[in-house]
Parts: sequence; C-alpha cells; structure tokens
Amino acid sequence: MSAARALTLPARVLWHAFFWTYERATWQYDLMVIAILAFVWLTPPAWLGDPMASGQPGLIELLLRLIR
Amino acid sequence: MTFTGAIGALCMFPLRLIIDGCVALRIHPNVLTFVGVLINVVAAWYLATGRFVTAGFIMIVANIFDFIDGKVATQLGAVSKFGGFWDSVIDRFSDLALFIGLIYLYAERGRTDYVMVTAIASTFALMTSYTRARAESLITRCKVGFMERPERIVLFMIGAFTNRMAAVLWVILVLSIFTVADRIIHTWIELRREERAVRA
Repeated sequence: MSAARALTLPARVLWHAFFWTYERATWQYDLMVIAILAFVWLTPPAWLGDPMASGQPGLIELLLRLIR
Repeated sequence: MTFTGAIGALCMFPLRLIIDGCVALRIHPNVLTFVGVLINVVAAWYLATGRFVTAGFIMIVANIFDFIDGKVATQLGAVSKFGGFWDSVIDRFSDLALFIGLIYLYAERGRTDYVMVTAIASTFALMTSYTRARAESLITRCKVGFMERPERIVLFMIGAFTNRMAAVLWVILVLSIFTVADRIIHTWIELRREERAVRA
C-alpha cells in the first residue's frame, strides 16, 4: 500500500502543479514562485538563445566565477 | 505568513498613501485605469527599443495605476458595473501593448523564433482572461490556473530589470497554456456536474 502511495505521490504533485487551484500567499504558491525564479535566473541565457542576454553568464556561472 | 504574502504586505504601505492621495483629490477610478494603459504604451515603446530597465520602472508606475483604481473606486463609493468592464478591457490593451513592444524588438533583430514565442504567449495570455470571462457566464466561478495578470506583470518586471526576458516569455507561454487548459477542464467538470444534478 505504501509503495502504491509512493508511486502516486509524484503524479499527484505534478497534477496539482499543472491543474492549479491554490490561492496566492499559500506555501504552494511560494514554491511555484521559487521554481519560476530559479528557472528565470539560473538558466544560462545562451541555452534559451536569449536575443538580449546571450553571452551574459547565468547566475550559476556568475557564482562559480566568484568562488574561483 | 508566506514570503509572497510578506512582499504583498510590504508593497501595500506606499500604495496606501497613493490610494489616500487619489481619494483626497477625488480622481475618478476610470481615469486612473486609462492613465495606466497610456503609461504601459510608453513602457512598451521602451521594451521595443531594448531599454529594459527604463521599461521596468515605467511598468511599475503604470501598474500602480492599474492596482489602485479598484481600491479608489471602493473608497470613493464609485464602484460600478461599467468600471469593472472598463478595467478588464483596458487591462487587455495594456497586456497587448507590452507583448507588441517585445514582438517589435525581436522582429527588428531578425529573431523570428522569439517573435513566435511572444506572439503565442500573448495569444494564451488573452485566452486566459477570455476563458474565465466566458466560463463565468456558464458557471459561478472559474479561478483556476496559475498564470493570471498580476503574475504576468511581475514576471515582465523581473525580466526587464534582470535582462532575462526570454526566460520570462517561456514561463508565461508554458504556464498560460496550462492556465487556459485548467479553465477549460474546470468548466467541463462543473458543467457535467450540473447536468448530472439536473438529471438526478
């Protein structure tokens, strides 16, 4: 029974992420916002062929440069 | 309190002052709505010329007008059915202005791929509000789906200020498609439930 539950959990998470029924200012909303911001800021612009930012480093690349 | 809730509460302090100022000056909310769209057109021009940061600041000003019109209407006792209709029609023009600005920018740079991404994103952004409006003529409420106008506007600002407009457009495109699909599915489920209840 627990295995079946474990298998269905990712499917349920995906379903709730795509069939969105949550209000603003809920923890689910915060999670979605974090995921979106992570995509926007962490994806290197070159991967998306960004016409305005190609050649600029993504946030990850920038952080790695600072560490080095 | 969630962190998006905290950000909202923080933003309400300066907005409260602006709302009080507009109420004191007795500015009609429909005028505020119209001024908002005019400022958004200016923002669209800056997007079209690739000056994203300036466009971002202008978008903030435009959307202050957009945000406060309803609150000013309530405080002035000027809430009307026409005001609600005017607001939602003007909002669509504001949305389209920003998308057209970006389409112009990418077309001028010869980037047909991003012209298409922006055009499709704008189509689904419009369909997001159309599906809700049409659904709510059939069922009581159709407020499902993540990507509504406030999310879109905040994303545009983030894209403009951090020069990540391409990533923002992809997010708007994908989540707007899901939002439209959510609204169609939700309406179908609700209408089917109503039909069953009538038959029973």
